[in-house]
Formats: sequence, C-alpha cells, structure tokens
Amino acid sequence: MHKHDLDLIAALADSSLEDETEARALVETCPECEAEYRAQVEILGVLASTPPAMLSEFEKAALHRDLWTELPKEPGRSATPGWYRWSYVAAGLLVVVGLAGVLNGQLGGSDQGGSFSEISSGLDTATADDGGAQPFADLDPAGGEAESAETTMAAEEGLALPFPDLAEEARAQQRAGDRSQMSTETSKIETCLEGAGLTAHTVVQELELDQRYLVVMPEDEDVEQTVTFIAVDDCSVVFVDG
Amino acid sequence: MTPPGNETELLARVVTGDREAFDTIMRSHEDRVFSVCLRILGNREKALDATQDTFLTVFRKADQFQGRSAVGTWIYRIAVNVCYDQIRRAKRRPSESLPDHVDPADPSAEAAIESAALRPEIEIALATLPAEFRNAVILSDLEGLSLPEVAEVLDVPIGTVKSRVFRGRRLLAAQLGNRNTS
Repeated sequence: MHKHDLDLIAALADSSLEDETEARALVETCPECEAEYRAQVEILGVLASTPPAMLSEFEKAALHRDLWTELPKEPGRSATPGWYRWSYVAAGLLVVVGLAGVLNGQLGGSDQGGSFSEISSGLDTATADDGGAQPFADLDPAGGEAESAETTMAAEEGLALPFPDLAEEARAQQRAGDRSQMSTETSKIETCLEGAGLTAHTVVQELELDQRYLVVMPEDEDVEQTVTFIAVDDCSVVFVDG
Repeated sequence: MTPPGNETELLARVVTGDREAFDTIMRSHEDRVFSVCLRILGNREKALDATQDTFLTVFRKADQFQGRSAVGTWIYRIAVNVCYDQIRRAKRRPSESLPDHVDPADPSAEAAIESAALRPEIEIALATLPAEFRNAVILSDLEGLSLPEVAEVLDVPIGTVKSRVFRGRRLLAAQLGNRNTS
C-alpha cells in the first residue's frame, strides 16, 4: 500500500480529514485498504476505552510534600542555601584543625594531641548516638550515605528540614533499604534469566500486569536486539519480539 | 483545568517566586503528567519520581518559557524528556530498577492502579513498539493530545507525528492480532 494511501486511511479512521471523499473511495474499492481501515478503527476503539492513569490522594500528598521540600526559594536558583554551602567550608576547617591537633599530638607527644583526639572521639560518639552517622558525612556534597533516623522520619512526615538535601538523602537511604530487602527477589530474577538461557541479557523494565513480567534485552548492543518477556512466577518466556 | 491564557500569567508569577501560582499549575497538570510518565515508563514508582522531577524542572525553568506553546504542552515536553533521561539511566544501571508496589497505607492506591492499568496484552504490545512510535501513540491516543500538541511535545514536525501515530497504531494492531491468534 502506498504511504499516501495509508495516511489517508489512518486519517479517515480517526476522523481528522476535512474531506473524506478520496479516502472513502479508496476503502470501498480496495480490499487491502478496507482491512487497514478496520484495523485502525479497531485499535483506536481499544485505546480510547482505556481510562487515564490517576494519582491516588496518598500519592498526591506525598508528591506535594516531597516537592515543597526540594523546591528552591526562587525559580532558577539552587535549592542549597548560602549558609549551607558555608557549612561545608566550616566542617572542612574543623576536620583540618582536628587532624592537625592529632598529628601534633603524635609527632610532638604533647597533651594537646590527646585532647583533640578526645574531642574527635566525642564527636564520633555523639553523632553515632544521633543515629549512626559519621561526623560531617551528612555534609558531604558528593552524597555521603549517612543521615540520622530522625532525618528519615522527618522526610517521611514532610517536615521542613534545615538541610533540604538531607530529605533527598533520607529517601535515597530508604530506597536503599528497600533494595536490600529485595536481594532475594534479585536472585530469583537472575535464576529466571539463567533458566531461560538469557544470561547475557539485562532487565530493561518490569511490568506488573496480571502477574509480574520482566522485559529483557541483550546486553551486547552489537547483537540482534530482541525483546523477551518472562513471567516471573514460573520463569517462562511468554513473548519474544525481534 | 486552568485556561491557557491564565496559565501563562500564572507561570509569569511563578518566575517571581509565587508558590501559590505554581501550586495551581501543578494541580492542574499533575494527573496528566503522571499518566504520560506511567505509560512511557510502565512502572508506577518510576512514574512518580518522573512526575516530581518534571515539576521541579518546571519551577526551576519557569523563566525559560517563551510562550510559543501552551504551558501544558511545555510541561508535557519536560515530562517526556525526564522519562527519556530515566530510561537512559536505567539502561546504564538496570539492577537499580524496582518493581511496582502498592503502599499498604494507601487505601485508594489499588483502585487507582486498577483504573490506570492497560489490559496486559495492550501493555505488552505497546512495549514492543519502537519508542518513537510508542510515545506518539501514547500522547495522541491514550492521553488525547492533538497532533500539533504531540509535535510540540516530541519536538518533531507534524507530518512526522502523523506518520508515527499511524504506523504505531498499525504495529499495535498487528501485535495484538498476533497475540490473539497465537
């Protein structure tokens, strides 16, 4: 079928033609065109009957809460306030001073080194008591892992935290926790891939339909890119495309 | 939904830091942004992350809106780009993908998911389409955007959109036919 004919038939099917004369004549005189028209009308009906996806009220509340926590004060500006950036500098200075004190104590053998060590140790203890965080790790701009349990709870409850980035870190840690709980799940997925002979494949998507499906593709982009669907329940290959 | 003209005014107020205006825009578009993200990403949790990233970008880049399209179209374009970024990241780190889950504390979530779920065979058939066809069909036939709007969102000429939508539907019909007969 000519491209022009296909475009005409498709446009006739979705009623976007101003003048339908040519398209109708095509459908009436060409069986292939009529079949194409019917297929397009049918798929449009299927798609049109699908309701839009909606956020639940709970999801909306969480979305708004998280968003307001992360929004910068004004558009186009960083979410990190100036005093927060300065706190990195202050923390760095404190570490340098502490280290200098420790080195001084070790090299010079004076009592001062011991007192710096005690301060440093005290900081460790105090921070650990606050939730197991390492000193200054929560100020790490590279994304240190540590934050307190209070921070996580505050992020969950949508409290306005003095360190907006910590809310994100708290959520990241929560997700990391979810991931560790799913290590069993991960091994099941690997077993499924091995059982289906798809060891050099990678899961590109997971679909939750009547049951869970894995959408997998070859890791090597140079080989033929087939798409395979695997049902997680029984590790059976349900569909291969390509 | 807020009238388009008002939305341009609202976005101008967002540029001055008016959070109430931003909230109005967000409430007007959040369901549709989420729906687009869910169709493209196929995972509710990822779609929620993408929706949040979309509105963060809208707030941060409000001053870059040039008024050449409706505010809604501009927002959906951001959403599609956020989804593309997520897919690219997931391809680099596939082990980080998480399955969907329903929060047990959310009584409305299950109903929302049920109402949003495509029939499995449609979802699978959609997933097999090349991304450019799939996204054109999602925006046009599932989300109900007009062809000029889809062209704006995907940043391609309208002729290309027509072609992608028509061929996407054709491929989808063929896929569904194959599945029904197999």
